[in-house]
Amino acid sequence: MAARSVCRAGSAAGRALLWGPRPAAALLTLTRKRGAATYAQTLQNIPETQVTTLENGLRVASEESNQPTCTVGLWIEAGSRYEDTKTNGAAFFMEHMAFKGTKKRPGSAFEKEVESLGAHLNGYTSREQTAFYIKALSKDMPKVVELLSDLVQNCALEDSQIEKERGVILQELKELDSNLADVTFDYLHATAYQGTSLAHTVEGTTENIKRLTRADLASYVDIHFKAPRMVLAAAGGISHRELVDAAKQHFTGAPLTHKGDSVPTLKHCRFTGSEIRARDDALPLAHIALAVEGPGWADPDNVVLNVANAIIGRYDRTFGGGTNQSSKLATLAVKHNLCHSFEPFNTSYSDTGLFGFHFVSDPLSVDDMMFCAQGEWMRLCTSTTESEVTRAKNYLRNAMVAQLDGTTRVCENIGSHLLHYGRRIPLEEWDARISAVDARMVRDVCSKYIYDKCPALAAVGPVEQLLDYNRIRSGMYWVRL
Amino acid sequence: MYAVSADARGLDTVVNLLADVTLQPRLSDEEIEMTRMAIRFELEDLNMRPDPEPLLTEMIHAAAFRDNTVGLNRFCPVENTDKIDRDVLHSYLSSYYTPERMVLAGVGIEHEHLVECARKYLLGVEPVWGSGQGRAVDRSVAQYTGGIIKVEKDMSDVSLGPTPIPELTHIMIGLESCSFLEDDFIPFAVLNMMMGGGGSFSAGGPGKGMFTRLYLNVLNRHHWMYNATSYHHSYEDTGLLCIHASADPKQVREMVEIITREFILMAGAVGEVELERAKTQLKSMLMMNLESRPVIFEDVGRQVLATNTRKLPHELCDLISQVKPSDIKRVVTKMLHKKPAVAALGDLTDLPTYEHIQAALSSKDGRLPRLYRLFR
Repeated sequence: MAARSVCRAGSAAGRALLWGPRPAAALLTLTRKRGAATYAQTLQNIPETQVTTLENGLRVASEESNQPTCTVGLWIEAGSRYEDTKTNGAAFFMEHMAFKGTKKRPGSAFEKEVESLGAHLNGYTSREQTAFYIKALSKDMPKVVELLSDLVQNCALEDSQIEKERGVILQELKELDSNLADVTFDYLHATAYQGTSLAHTVEGTTENIKRLTRADLASYVDIHFKAPRMVLAAAGGISHRELVDAAKQHFTGAPLTHKGDSVPTLKHCRFTGSEIRARDDALPLAHIALAVEGPGWADPDNVVLNVANAIIGRYDRTFGGGTNQSSKLATLAVKHNLCHSFEPFNTSYSDTGLFGFHFVSDPLSVDDMMFCAQGEWMRLCTSTTESEVTRAKNYLRNAMVAQLDGTTRVCENIGSHLLHYGRRIPLEEWDARISAVDARMVRDVCSKYIYDKCPALAAVGPVEQLLDYNRIRSGMYWVRL
Repeated sequence: MYAVSADARGLDTVVNLLADVTLQPRLSDEEIEMTRMAIRFELEDLNMRPDPEPLLTEMIHAAAFRDNTVGLNRFCPVENTDKIDRDVLHSYLSSYYTPERMVLAGVGIEHEHLVECARKYLLGVEPVWGSGQGRAVDRSVAQYTGGIIKVEKDMSDVSLGPTPIPELTHIMIGLESCSFLEDDFIPFAVLNMMMGGGGSFSAGGPGKGMFTRLYLNVLNRHHWMYNATSYHHSYEDTGLLCIHASADPKQVREMVEIITREFILMAGAVGEVELERAKTQLKSMLMMNLESRPVIFEDVGRQVLATNTRKLPHELCDLISQVKPSDIKRVVTKMLHKKPAVAALGDLTDLPTYEHIQAALSSKDGRLPRLYRLFR
């Protein structure tokens, strides 16, 4: 009872939040009886993310939270989208080389120092973003900032190490080929963004990995690892002031400024409705991914699309609960044994995105599963109900808050928000935006992106039963009187 | 453990749900049938995976604690899925789901509020299996027996995708350590961190133990070893320290010898730098893991259930800092006096016998006894 009234007050407060700095007083009085902090109070009490921009363009951002540990990392606007066909794979190669020694700490000295601190160093490369971050004890923050600056400015790129890593990466490419879900997503990008740089895989092609030289890697670093495209983010038991001081000390060297006119820009990547099928009847299960073009990061439609995905839900055949699932598609999947698993996705890039779903099924259930999944999309565009939207919103709000568990997740959130949105969007704002969604908005936004649009389709494995593209295209609208 | 993550506003509803689920489950025939299917899928999935670690863990426990307590299967064996029905479940629940064996734990809510909800929903509720006395609860203490469990399995084609994975034989050798209630638990944890290890292909980045003994002495020197990792399982009244290794079936004998030698070397000299690094890494890992709410929650629940109190993280860090090389030597010497437990999976034609492995672990240098052949 109390929950429902708080929800209603939530949408009123939501509108207030979007325009004004203070929440409606009503929200606070409703819950004053309880001693512990309420949801709204807790959201308000999250320490603000402080952002400082240094002279050379480096953005330093952090969320202080009195803990014994912290995560500090560098988020860089670089990735496979910035490569061309000849250099595809340089970003990934660079990620491997980053830990293998710097001019100041040659050979394995860099790794040994990290290990002796008891710290964990990690990195990842994606299509538009590269990140290096270190988890450590809060007292070691200045050392960690120095290690990060050493890594990104003074990478040694020793020839012997390059040759060794070449072999390691080739082996890793072989192993990645066994992860069929990832292979399917790579195919999806290759067909949806064909002819553009978003079609490249992050890891690169085998010929490129065999051919890339020290000069290629050095030139990649020279063009992309520059201060205006980097964010130094931190979360945990650190102080913003000390962080900025450490950054000023270590991140103002010459290697970090662009030379003259060489700032790379992104060309628009067009989306092409198309398909790609890698049929292999020897594999036991079929992997299928279907997507339409979605909006870029900063578009507010993303919130509604995420609510839509929460309505579609996800499923795996090891879930308990049988036919008692909140997702209608999952209930169908159990009742008619349609698939082993399915999940929706909403992958965004700076000016485009892929909104769709991926499923894994037996060779003889592919057609039925595709029919039901497309049926669910049509249902979302035409007959979403308020109650399922409310449930989806609650789930999404919870997921958002629960996900920010631990300094590493918060740090990553800060780093990627600054790169995608230019600012950190606080949980209060997410909460308000999600609360403002209703069934009509879900129907309208879904129709805008899904209804009668040409999708991109990728299929791997025993996919004979998957119908031809024209049939699937005609599943994107309903003929109604 | 039944856990719920929810918005703090819903505490009442959540405790009500938990009470309902644990004390009054309907267990209809349909639900039991669906669960049987889900369990069969999960077991099938376990057996299909290229990574055999869960299977090996089951096997090493069965070998170390033969037919008792911790050695009994954690996953329901396929033969038993059909035999379990509502009555069997009720008889289990009536013995073990009793108030003195339960802890209600919460993170992020006010204690008084939680107590109030517990009083409302858990006090005086009649569980669905009746409140008669259950069968006597099994209070046996874990008996470490040692022993060997072998499973011949064709591992030549375990890859789920188009790229083949090489055929490997996996072995796990373990020795009894101690329970997490004893003082020696901390030295064992530091020892486990010092041994470390992982896959030979990639350590996973700096910080994941690339300078631990199993990497420096084993994986970096013998490139044919695919994997050498150390694990430490600890329970209320016993514990198990084991090393998992895998290699091509033709090199099983050499692999076993390398592992037994590592065990013997544990009792030898411990470098200062090495020990400090292991202690720092253990403290770091402890603090980093406790950032996450589900982990704090499990920590509170487990410690209270076992000891009725909770040791705070910084107390544990202090205990870790106090570990000395002599502590490590002492616990290892004690450990090496017990019978080993061995689990082996894959093509086992070249596996040394259990007696030979035992002899190696009680010898001075850890080498397997020489094989004398009559016919050269």
